[in-house]
Amino acid sequence: MKAWSIAWKDITIFLKDRGAIVYLFLLPLLFIVVMSGALSAVGQSTPQPTRIALPVVDLDGGEAARSLVQALDAAGGVRVEAYEQDVAVALLREGKLGRVLTIPSGFTANLAADRPSTLRLVNHPDADPEKNEAVRVVVEGVARDMALQSQILASLRQMGEMLADAPPEYQEAFSTERAVAQARSQFEASAKRPLVEVRQCVPAITSQPQEATTPGLNLTAVPGLAVLFVFLTAQATAYSIHEEKKIGSFRRLLAAPLSKASLLLGKMLPNLVTALLQMAAILAFGAFGLRLLGLTPVSLGRDPLALSLVVLLIALCSSALGLTIAALARTEGQVGGISQVLLWVMAILGGSIIPLFALEMYLGPLPRIVPHYWANRALDNLMLRGLTLAGVGTEMIVLLGFTILFFAIGLWRFEFD
Amino acid sequence: MPAILEVENLVKKYGDFAAVNGVSFRVDEGEVFGLLGPNGAGKTQTISMLTGVVTPTSGTARIGGHDIRKEMDKVKKINGLVPQDLALYPALSARANLEFFGRIYGLRGKELRERVEDALRIVALAERANQTVEKYSGGMKRRANIAAGLLHQPQLLFLDEPTVGVDPQSRNHIFESVLRLNRERGMSIVYTSHYMEEVEYLCNRVAIIDGGSIIALDTIKSLIDLLGGGVIHAGLARLDEALLTQIAALPGVKAATLIAPPTAPPLAPGVEPEAKPAQPVRTNELVQVVAQHSQQALVSLINFLNERDIALTALEILEPNLESVFLHLTGKKLRE
Repeated sequence: MKAWSIAWKDITIFLKDRGAIVYLFLLPLLFIVVMSGALSAVGQSTPQPTRIALPVVDLDGGEAARSLVQALDAAGGVRVEAYEQDVAVALLREGKLGRVLTIPSGFTANLAADRPSTLRLVNHPDADPEKNEAVRVVVEGVARDMALQSQILASLRQMGEMLADAPPEYQEAFSTERAVAQARSQFEASAKRPLVEVRQCVPAITSQPQEATTPGLNLTAVPGLAVLFVFLTAQATAYSIHEEKKIGSFRRLLAAPLSKASLLLGKMLPNLVTALLQMAAILAFGAFGLRLLGLTPVSLGRDPLALSLVVLLIALCSSALGLTIAALARTEGQVGGISQVLLWVMAILGGSIIPLFALEMYLGPLPRIVPHYWANRALDNLMLRGLTLAGVGTEMIVLLGFTILFFAIGLWRFEFD
Repeated sequence: MPAILEVENLVKKYGDFAAVNGVSFRVDEGEVFGLLGPNGAGKTQTISMLTGVVTPTSGTARIGGHDIRKEMDKVKKINGLVPQDLALYPALSARANLEFFGRIYGLRGKELRERVEDALRIVALAERANQTVEKYSGGMKRRANIAAGLLHQPQLLFLDEPTVGVDPQSRNHIFESVLRLNRERGMSIVYTSHYMEEVEYLCNRVAIIDGGSIIALDTIKSLIDLLGGGVIHAGLARLDEALLTQIAALPGVKAATLIAPPTAPPLAPGVEPEAKPAQPVRTNELVQVVAQHSQQALVSLINFLNERDIALTALEILEPNLESVFLHLTGKKLRE
């Protein structure tokens, strides 16, 4: 309760500082707009392959399956590559394939008998979500056309057979109008109950991807800058503690019936609250605000709980880092110096400014020594690759480890006197 | 009167440097006790140990019967601290500051509001309580600083140099507040200052502290009585031990001592001595004469020197007060 009193006092003082509010909330959004726009332009200027590889496993082998494969290849968006099922599964698991489309056995027979079939499109967890989406659109489009064609052909064939055997007085029943009406009915039925359904899924595979793992450059800007700015708030904790020492209120608090743990917790809580609000503002802007500005929005992923937990861990880690800076710095000037050097170096090394995949190409495993790397990786996995809680377990454990480490160093080195 | 505070051989060391070196004293319930000493004497460090801000290196103290080393939690509820710094948040109003510190002492709701109003009334800031502290004058800030130490109605209040940098009017306000707290509410007060006038005005007893140690402790009257009728500093063209003994035996003289000339600090290796010394060089001896009766002692001394044809090169007559007591005890002025 007393810790919350300290925190609330600090938040009240913070809210009176309009410059700080601009720095903490508007500056990150401005950075995101600039970075997203600039990286979008970089992405567009890079020559992209015109067709996305689509490995296909044909378990049917029938005429309809062959027609589907030809239609997919002819659609223009994808380049069909035939695979045996076991090979495709193994390569997908290893991350060497980004996705695999499986045509089930009985596909041709089902189509002929007007029975529904399901095509399975399996995406690797780390596959580029934009490519996944493009492939899904192509496959669904081709499958829908093919199913419709099959249904209409079957209907017409049925009408022809009935017409051949019908007495002359009933032949009026098979007029052009009736045929058109029948075709319309087939369209409606096809829309309500597609004969060929495409089911997309992402298995829990944790191996490092080698194909199609690079998220769009512009999309990495949002999580990267969110991590950068949330960790920059660490210096606010350190400044706040030094300000208390400078004006003498720290002595007054030490003389009060208040535990040292409550005092430090009270000084860390405002940073935690600020960091959470800042992260929420940045992610909301990335998901909804960018669209309004005509830029590509970023997805918040498909596991809100996992995203919330990761955001909380990042904010905690930032607060603990603030305590460490306060403990290491002896003067206000040192707080500024240590913060600037430490936080910016960590941000650059951890992939907040230069995307992780690019950094790792040149620096190998070095970026892993900073918490920013794990924070960025967790957010990328959740937001850009569509993973769930199970897919960011390692990142969360490492972030928790950094938090405990920073807190321990802070307590060990903190000078209350 | 029972003691509210008993300090026993309290020591605070930073490496080899002893900021406080074996301080012992007691403060009775309802007493205003002064700690008088120059800057850096160890007053704030002593208070810091007694209020739990720093941990003593050795020694201990009991406050309200509780040992500060074992029961600081209980001690903190008895103590109130008004630190030397203006320990307030400038961006908040005086009322918001007081409400915050009140909450830290566990006050809530109606009780908190009443205590805040009471503290504001004591320091005469009720009318401007909603103004931010950064817009206050130096004196108003000092008064708000005192109010923040009163919220939990402490039995023992430590006021650490509470009048530094304030105008005379605010100083009088502060004096009135301190005396009212003591007389009307029975609050025991430890008041540190390097202004002897304040300590003389407010305190019953005083400890004179210098170099981390208490060099005198008594009622103000007893301390001043050490000097009898005052102190005479006389510069003599020549002096020896025999003459000093004779001066000490003159009528109206209580004691005579030779004041050692100030010594220059040793020069660092490789540093050349300056052509012009920082302090004037004394070419004759300075005698400190403690008088029983200053006029009688002065006449005796001048007659004595005339008879022996010893030139009087300097003469200073010091009124008997705490300043001269400190000078008498340490050979230096309080504000040096």
